[in-house]
Amino acid sequence: MPSAVIGFDRMSATSEAPAAFHDAAANPGPLDLVNGAISDVISRRRLIRYLVQAEIKKRGVNTVLGNLWWVLDPLLLMAVYVVLVTVISRRSIPDYPLFIFAAILPWKWFTTAVQDSTTSVISQQRLIKQIAFPKIVLPIAATTAGVVGFAFGLIPLGLIMLLYPDRISIFLVLIPIIAAVQYVFTLAVSILVAAGNVFFRDLGNVVRHLLRLWFYLSPGLYALSHLDSIGLMQDHPIFRTLAAMNPFAVLFEAYRGVIYGTETGPPGAPNWYHLGVLLVASVIFLAFAGMVFKRLEPNFAKVL
Amino acid sequence: MTDSVNGRSLGHAIAADDLGVRYNLRFNRKKSMQRTLSQVLSREPVEQFWALRHVSLRVARGESLAVIGPNGAGKSTLLQVLAGIIRPSEGVIDVRGHVSGLLTLGAGFDQELTGRENILLGGAFLGLDDAVARALLPGIVEYADLGDFIDAPLKAYSSGMRARLGFAIATSVDPDILLLDEVLATGDATFRAKSKERVLELVGGAKAVVLVTHDMTWVQEYCNRALLIEKGHVVLEGEPGEIVTAHREHTEQEKLRKAEAARQAGIAPVIAR
Repeated sequence: MPSAVIGFDRMSATSEAPAAFHDAAANPGPLDLVNGAISDVISRRRLIRYLVQAEIKKRGVNTVLGNLWWVLDPLLLMAVYVVLVTVISRRSIPDYPLFIFAAILPWKWFTTAVQDSTTSVISQQRLIKQIAFPKIVLPIAATTAGVVGFAFGLIPLGLIMLLYPDRISIFLVLIPIIAAVQYVFTLAVSILVAAGNVFFRDLGNVVRHLLRLWFYLSPGLYALSHLDSIGLMQDHPIFRTLAAMNPFAVLFEAYRGVIYGTETGPPGAPNWYHLGVLLVASVIFLAFAGMVFKRLEPNFAKVL
Repeated sequence: MTDSVNGRSLGHAIAADDLGVRYNLRFNRKKSMQRTLSQVLSREPVEQFWALRHVSLRVARGESLAVIGPNGAGKSTLLQVLAGIIRPSEGVIDVRGHVSGLLTLGAGFDQELTGRENILLGGAFLGLDDAVARALLPGIVEYADLGDFIDAPLKAYSSGMRARLGFAIATSVDPDILLLDEVLATGDATFRAKSKERVLELVGGAKAVVLVTHDMTWVQEYCNRALLIEKGHVVLEGEPGEIVTAHREHTEQEKLRKAEAARQAGIAPVIAR
């Protein structure tokens, strides 16, 4: 092989990495940190897009059925729960597969996003030690990639809906609005666990079990109103209030409202007031998560 | 950005004053919650370690600075601080211009993506504008010289091909300030010669260069100043020739001291490779 050097065209392109000015004494305030997080995302939106594309592509390979899993996965999960609940519980809810599918679909998105985000930063440790880039793009990309899974999940949802034509309504078009609220909330959780896992590598185990517990405490397999018949809730209304304040109580009830309706009634609009409160709370939570992440970020390269 | 740092004037590419990088060993490496919790409960003092301390340096425009020293002296930490990867725990650092570190051979590669897709991903990590990355793409593809493999997923690549692609991406931008950390150690002989040419080209084009290496020939040939770092402190600074000589002497003394200590402890000295 000839060792002739193929020269580059002289290019004026330079790295966009800004000139560094660091003063160890300088301590950015909370607002600076949030602003930093926002400008990170805006300046690196292309990077987020590439990471999301890579993530989606990766999920399609190395499996026999490839992208078919996007569709099969929620269906199989639904089948498991239908069998489980039908055997254990004596209460019979009409059109139960659709009832729980309305919760399984968003929940699967949430758990996948949070679990992927947990490892999103540490899995890039080689890179973090070698290039200065805003690490916040990593959990954001992991969460955003989950949106695609959710969108694919709408296919099996459509199939199931065909079995219950009475439940099909115009309110289905509201799903993206509810999903948008969920996205903001998920993003906040993802950013927090991604930063935390850098310092505590066993956070992933904790997260996995907490997620499972969270699902059973949320009205996914049951309706929020079913809690009223439980003695504990009647004796201590505070538990009932807390259960309703669970973000996934709001989200599940909203999704179920537009997809399934109620046990006795047809689908209807979600509780806008609850959704609005959750959205505002999630935005504040997201700002907090971004602040924590930016505060911890300078230490990542040292700890990894 | 201020026009001066602590009253010093313009004209430098890099100015660092009293830099210190402290590692908190409580959070070092894969700690579990249990260990941290038990440490906090037992009020065990937090172990700290200064990888760099009281380091001040100036790199003027047009200068090429070599950083040498024994393993673990803090050379790479210094480069990481200059590249903005690690924020200093104390001191002030001012770096002017676009920084590019050739610390990055093959980092950030995605096994499932093709070579071409990895180039765009790598460019995005480096902070390149997408239009710029796409404009650079043909040049990088040509330089990496991977043939049809450029459209194959990276998992099909040999380690040499990976190194070639990594080098092509990392050197595709012309930075103002170039940070090099032992980049010439990879690849086969042909590629090493080719990459040396390219590095020299970059060194020629950059406004300032900071180089970490164990290759003393490089230091004497291509650098006009050198810095000797030992145990996180700058020990000597000056002409490359002098510094290299001092470094050799220090290394010899250190070896003798170790042998002496081992002899006194009654342990047979380990024969150096």
